[in-house]
Amino acid sequence: VQSTEFSSDIDIPDYVEKYTPLVSTDQRQTYKDDFNAEYDEYRLLHAHIEKITRRFTQLDAQCRKLPPGTKEHQKVQEEILKEYKKMKEHSPNYHKEKLRCEYLHNKLAHIKRLIADFDQRKAQVWF
Amino acid sequence: PVEGSGDANCVDEILKEMTQSWPPPLTAIHTPCKTEPSKFPFPTKDTHPFPS
Repeated sequence: VQSTEFSSDIDIPDYVEKYTPLVSTDQRQTYKDDFNAEYDEYRLLHAHIEKITRRFTQLDAQCRKLPPGTKEHQKVQEEILKEYKKMKEHSPNYHKEKLRCEYLHNKLAHIKRLIADFDQRKAQVWF
Repeated sequence: PVEGSGDANCVDEILKEMTQSWPPPLTAIHTPCKTEPSKFPFPTKDTHPFPS
């Protein structure tokens, strides 16, 4: 079942409206605090999904090296199914977590970009 | 839901889903916030405190 929440291409993410280009140093601190407030959650989710992705990428590479129809190939395929089942058991919210992490990634990247733009503008004034 | 074993289509689907490229994590914001730049872009000495 597809979620309709993000189906529209013209939907502007909430953080784009909330975080507009910076105009003051105080505002910079607020943005930075907001960034830091969600950064830990982001890193944990990111590391978790990275670990799972790496495991399946390894299995995928193993599988590709073996000719289909062989016992070894079959074994790796079974391993993939087993690993997938295990993942579903241990991380039933994997898809939700992934979506959340992608959202946080884009949001934090947006805030970081605004801060970098602000710093660059300020540096140009100083030098 | 994935059931049974040896179902090649099933495995293909899993791999397609689970091996999507994942970008490296964003780094934290390290720059100082309230102050003006603490360093001038003029080198004072040849020695570097953090050799690389």
